[in-house]
Amino acid sequence: MSFLKKYLKGWQFRETNPSLEVGDVIDVFVAESNSATEGHVYIGDTHLIVEGAGPETVERQVRVRVTEFDAASTTGRGEFIEVVGESSYTS
Amino acid sequence: MSTENGGPGESDPTESFTQGDEDDEPRISFYGGRGMSAFPIAFFILWAIAQTALWRISDTGGLVVGILLGLIFGMFFVRGNWKTYANTIFEGMTQPVAVTAIVAWIWAGMFAELLQDGGFVDGLVWLADVGGIGATLFPAMTFVLAALFTTGIGTGYGSAIAFVTLFFPAGLLLGANPVLLFGAILSGSIFGDNLAPVSDTTIVSAVTQDSDIGGVVASRFKYVIVAAVLAFAGYLVAGQFMGGLGIGGDAQELLVAESEPIGLIHLLSMGVVIGAAVAGRHIVEAISWGIVVAAVSGLALGLLSLGDIVMFNAPEDAPLAQPLEFLPVLTIVEDPGAVSVGGSLINGAAGFFELAILVLLIIAAAQIMIRGGAFQAILDWSIENLATNVRNAELTMVGSAALINAVITINTAAEVAIGPYISKIGERFNLNGYRRANILDAQTAALGYIFPWSGGVLAGYTAMQDLPGEYDWLTADMLATPVEVVPFVFQGWLLVAVFVVAAITGFGREYVIDRESEEVARL
Repeated sequence: MSFLKKYLKGWQFRETNPSLEVGDVIDVFVAESNSATEGHVYIGDTHLIVEGAGPETVERQVRVRVTEFDAASTTGRGEFIEVVGESSYTS
Repeated sequence: MSTENGGPGESDPTESFTQGDEDDEPRISFYGGRGMSAFPIAFFILWAIAQTALWRISDTGGLVVGILLGLIFGMFFVRGNWKTYANTIFEGMTQPVAVTAIVAWIWAGMFAELLQDGGFVDGLVWLADVGGIGATLFPAMTFVLAALFTTGIGTGYGSAIAFVTLFFPAGLLLGANPVLLFGAILSGSIFGDNLAPVSDTTIVSAVTQDSDIGGVVASRFKYVIVAAVLAFAGYLVAGQFMGGLGIGGDAQELLVAESEPIGLIHLLSMGVVIGAAVAGRHIVEAISWGIVVAAVSGLALGLLSLGDIVMFNAPEDAPLAQPLEFLPVLTIVEDPGAVSVGGSLINGAAGFFELAILVLLIIAAAQIMIRGGAFQAILDWSIENLATNVRNAELTMVGSAALINAVITINTAAEVAIGPYISKIGERFNLNGYRRANILDAQTAALGYIFPWSGGVLAGYTAMQDLPGEYDWLTADMLATPVEVVPFVFQGWLLVAVFVVAAITGFGREYVIDRESEEVARL
């Protein structure tokens, strides 16, 4: 990203519930997991249930493919691909 | 604050403050629960309010007694062995971030005093008079210059000391309002502390949120500049309505008319400090070069004598006093009470000795609060109960960063302590590293110069205490107090307000899916 673009980035109002598209592959932090096979991801107030993201992925950054998404309620489901990063406060 | 000049490859300030979540269980157990570990700090805050606000005694030594008693009384609430409590005091006092702040104060104090004794204030008054910058414009101009100076050298504390020593008396003489002037100086320090890539707080905010410093600076520019434009307008408007003090009527006009431009040579000394800092030199090295240039140019132009810089005032009966009396740095004094070492360097540094001890003890009390679990309890509660959606999460981040700065007076130390919690709350909602770092640093930079007991305010106020001794026309009742200045630190309040609005409206918000911050090591 160019020097000027870095300064101009972010001059906007970003919504609390960002939209996702089915098929998107995103790297996100898992907030919590209340079963052995599902994790919960919040991107702002958008809620994604991720299959395959068990308790071991909580507070770690994981790659997720979005499999379902309802733009009206900004909720959806995704599948866990891999762990790609750690939290900055545990690393 | 900001003291450690240089890139992220140098010593990492985050290594130097113990973070609250390192242990699973609090190491010190208190009768009455975890909250009692806040006793020493709470006792000190009440003492400080009583002493400075209710009884108007601005004696740093008295505050030292307040925190010492807080630490002593706090010990009686400890369950089991008191040795851990005592060791935690040592652990807190030996945090390198606190010590680096003290080093910056002392160096900046010597530098500013040297410039003051070398006629820089006189030069500033001349320049403002010739340039038509009167009392009403002076606070706004001071804000801009302090902001530029701090952005150049990266140390807000050092800048506050230098500008209080130099611009404050110049402004008073021109008829500017003292409280507004002090507020403008602190605002300039906040601007630079928040934005300078070489500022300690900038580095800590980036490192604790896993973000590159260049990206953090670029992404926070939008918040800082919005606050700064409003603050500048605020100082322009307030300058119209808030009058200055009458300083001897005709005497004031005479002093302004008699001011000379020669002292402006010290712009060169300030330029050397900025240049060295921007070139990546350590702040101690940069200010040391400024001291050398100020001393040499002052001596060469006859603005200073060696005795003005350092003077040994020896008693008559000292063995080698009489034979060496010809030395320009030695004077024999008859009055035993006058035996001392004087001059710009000691006068500039000495004011900060008591403050240094006070701040070390406050950091120790904050460490007791962290080790005793009071801090953890507050944060756990806020994460559980307040951060219920992304908007509230961002407001909680603003609030928790503000809270820690109320307790830990050195703002870099406060930032290191709260960094992991900001990260924890932000990552839960997938806010990216830049957004988290910017929320963290804005509150840290702002409130570190707003709370009357914060390091920035105390450093500036301590420098101010020396002014009545320097100028015949300047009396103690002309000074601005730390409590009075609180509403007038416009850049600080506006920066906090910008982030409250940004949290509510989503201005500048970025998620990790929008952009990921780059690696920490990249500048």
